[in-house]
Amino acid sequence: MPNLFDSMFHISSRIAEAGILAMNSAMATMQSAIGRVAGQDPPRPPDKPPLNGPATLDDATADFSNRLLRIGRTTQNKPEAVQSLLRSVLDAFNKSFGGLEIRDLRQWMALPFQLPLSFGTLLAQQSLRALYTAQVVGPQNLAHFAPYMLDTFTDIHVVVSLQYKEQIQIYREHLSRFPEDSDTRLLLGKEYIKLGLYLEGSRELVEAARNPALHSEALSESAVANYRAGNFNRAIEDGVAALEALPGDDRTRYWVWLAAQKLGGYPDFVPENARIEVRAGRHRPKVEFQEVATKIGLDKTSAGRGTAIFDMDGDGYLDIVISSGHGGCNLYRNNGDGTFADVTVGSGLDECVNTFIIAVGDYNNDGLDDLYITRLGFYVGESVLYRNNGDGTFTDVTKEAGVGCWGPSFTCHWVDYDCDGFLDLFVANNFAGVFDRKNPNRLFHNNKDGTFTEVSEQAGLSTLHPTIGSAWGDYDNDGYPDLFLSSGLGRSQLFHNNGDGTFTDVSRKAGIDDICFGGISLWCDYDNDGWLDLVQFIWSLEEDVLHTLIHGDGPAQGKPMRIYHNNRDGTFTKLDRELGLNGCWGTMSGNAGDFNNDGYIDFLLGNGDPHMNRTEPSIILEYDGDGNYHNVTFAAGLPYTGKGHGANMADLAGDGRLCLIISSGGAYPGDLLTTSVFRPKVLPGNYLNVRLVGTRSNRNAIGARLKLDAGGRSQHRLVSSGSAFGCLPYEQHFGLADLSQIEALEILWPSGLRQRIERPPVNTTIRIVEGRAGCEEVYKNKPLQLIAGNQS
Amino acid sequence: MVFWSETCSHCIRYDVYLNSFSDSHPEISLVAVASRQGENLGQIRATVAARNLRFPIFHDSGGSVARQWFTQQTPRAFLIDMERRLLYRGAIDNFKYPQDPEYGAYLEPAIEAYLAGRPIERKETASFGCAVESVYYILPKALA
Repeated sequence: MPNLFDSMFHISSRIAEAGILAMNSAMATMQSAIGRVAGQDPPRPPDKPPLNGPATLDDATADFSNRLLRIGRTTQNKPEAVQSLLRSVLDAFNKSFGGLEIRDLRQWMALPFQLPLSFGTLLAQQSLRALYTAQVVGPQNLAHFAPYMLDTFTDIHVVVSLQYKEQIQIYREHLSRFPEDSDTRLLLGKEYIKLGLYLEGSRELVEAARNPALHSEALSESAVANYRAGNFNRAIEDGVAALEALPGDDRTRYWVWLAAQKLGGYPDFVPENARIEVRAGRHRPKVEFQEVATKIGLDKTSAGRGTAIFDMDGDGYLDIVISSGHGGCNLYRNNGDGTFADVTVGSGLDECVNTFIIAVGDYNNDGLDDLYITRLGFYVGESVLYRNNGDGTFTDVTKEAGVGCWGPSFTCHWVDYDCDGFLDLFVANNFAGVFDRKNPNRLFHNNKDGTFTEVSEQAGLSTLHPTIGSAWGDYDNDGYPDLFLSSGLGRSQLFHNNGDGTFTDVSRKAGIDDICFGGISLWCDYDNDGWLDLVQFIWSLEEDVLHTLIHGDGPAQGKPMRIYHNNRDGTFTKLDRELGLNGCWGTMSGNAGDFNNDGYIDFLLGNGDPHMNRTEPSIILEYDGDGNYHNVTFAAGLPYTGKGHGANMADLAGDGRLCLIISSGGAYPGDLLTTSVFRPKVLPGNYLNVRLVGTRSNRNAIGARLKLDAGGRSQHRLVSSGSAFGCLPYEQHFGLADLSQIEALEILWPSGLRQRIERPPVNTTIRIVEGRAGCEEVYKNKPLQLIAGNQS
Repeated sequence: MVFWSETCSHCIRYDVYLNSFSDSHPEISLVAVASRQGENLGQIRATVAARNLRFPIFHDSGGSVARQWFTQQTPRAFLIDMERRLLYRGAIDNFKYPQDPEYGAYLEPAIEAYLAGRPIERKETASFGCAVESVYYILPKALA
């Protein structure tokens, strides 16, 4: 039960939110009215990088504020620093405002009026985010949480522009003049860790720990550095020393525990209060996994980001593309035996660096899957559309297609929102810096001639809430896909597709307007009732994650991932702990699929955040079909550490075993990980894989619904890319447990056509063409040479 | 031939390996190519002095060699025989941290197999590291 303080806070927050929104709207209206009088063009969402600096006043004020914040965080609190501070502020002003194009006297005269309004709207939007943050973490935790997030947001710009050397030089020069400044030494030590120079980092941190005020933090960081350097004994020593000064620090206890696992257990000198047990992830699994990435040639080491699984050349086998935050994409062709060849070089995708989320879709219905790729996510980037040439190469057609987008883009989806048989494109945008404004989401309508027209405004999809996750699914079964937006720091939103190219925000009516750190999301029918439910993954605070690891479930105030259960009347009921979803994880990527072939949809969560001192396992949750999800992660053979991006599931060898694919790695160059592929050790049950080919519908059949009847019950599937992070294959995987016969498979195509296949085969992969009777086996004429161990 | 950058933090981890390469492999010549956008000779010379680098470095101003060699990130290694045939292309190893149980060298086994006259088992791997060219290098910088 919420206490009186919570209730009061909630009510006053609602009032404050309404007030801030009204102020923001009024100031924005005034600013744009002044702009019209001054003859300014209305601002348009950017589609190319602002190489000369921000091009609009609103972007400039945001950029300047971000620069000031960064200067404030890195300038030492010393009288001697005043001169360099003033120089930095002046330089920041030039960089932020130097790119503005002010054409004539009228526009110069408008500037003194527009400038305060621009700062005003920025302040309003920041106030809104602060209010939302206070609601999620609790007002009492704001002081602790804000620096944690600021650390990341003020650092990203330095990392992506490779300016860490300059940053280290600044720290070193300062320390040469003020060697006793342990605050700066702590920053230097942390910077070394970010670069992977762990021993250098530890040396500075131990030095900084001589300051009693920094003792525990510096030694805790040194424990992280030593763990990452492979000095597990030293990591435990530093961790134990840190815990003596700060006994309640679960993060340090977890690193000590991880180091102890490497040594086969805690050394004797570790006191009882420094020890923990990891209770999460121990539930008995229905399937166990083995890691096979190296064996099948997918062991890409990198700052792994998105994954997309699709048949790139029409040979029937599933191929993979993996993106990377630092370097380029890699393209892997399936050799036909469940192993992969790296065919990146010369494909065109190798030129695509700093990439993030990948969306697969045949936008020109030529039978070849094309790729749309966003860049960097939490930093602005230039998204790109690659047309598949069918010969292993891809051509950048972003400009001629008219789908350029410069922004902090996260998820992107191909969707035929008007059901005209051609895929349209949706790009969800977040915000990139602490003081950034919400970058508009983009909806591009397919003109059916290889070009697109942006329709975001007229579609009614404008929102102030920064978007991370987006998911398209027809929740009311009216034939048109609706849109859910998951906000990283704002309200969740549900937009109903009116079927005429416009959308209506139905969030409050539907009961989906919760404030949370919303992550990626997807639609699926978890309870197989024929009505799509909504899965929203949540990014949780580190302390809630540690609580979950240690105790097996999250704290009472924590926000676990949730399923919005479809009530079949346009409303939803939020379910989490009621379904056994009681763990809090920092979920960055995730997807749904029946990996244990028992006929129920399970989840894979890729977790973590950019901080070097945060490592977090990927999690798998099995559904028991009886209203409960169970965390089986470690019992099923998955590891304790990670930073999971692009979580994906696919039957890579075409043998019914749904593999878990996780492209891992952090934001910093010192946080490299290798892509993992976890494959079921044995075939956990019978199965059927189904691929659809649209003829009147879009060729990928995105949006199609499938119903499989077997053993007296039905299973329902939606053809979609899942959460997009990663982009699921459009092949639909049905687990059948021990059933050896299927009564029927029904397909509802996006065109409206219903198609029924009587008694489809079992334990195979079939292809069904829209409007054509029967089905064909995909691998019939070219059976897979199963990889070693497949027959077990 | 190793594409390399004086700024790349991943390359720093290979300073010892590359410095000792000519001693450990006297029969193979090594050349590093610095192609990163905006990287100039003065910066490279300063880094060579500061990190005491002892292997030859060519400056690929403008990055045309990297483009011709399909190289988008540093470090990226190419092993080429006397007849200019490509024997191996990709990462030097999968180094993430010292004593990594998953550690695997890629370039060294290729060299060993080549010198022993055996077929090279793994001829291509994904590279990882810093981008050679990126729009982020030419946007206004966060630091002065």
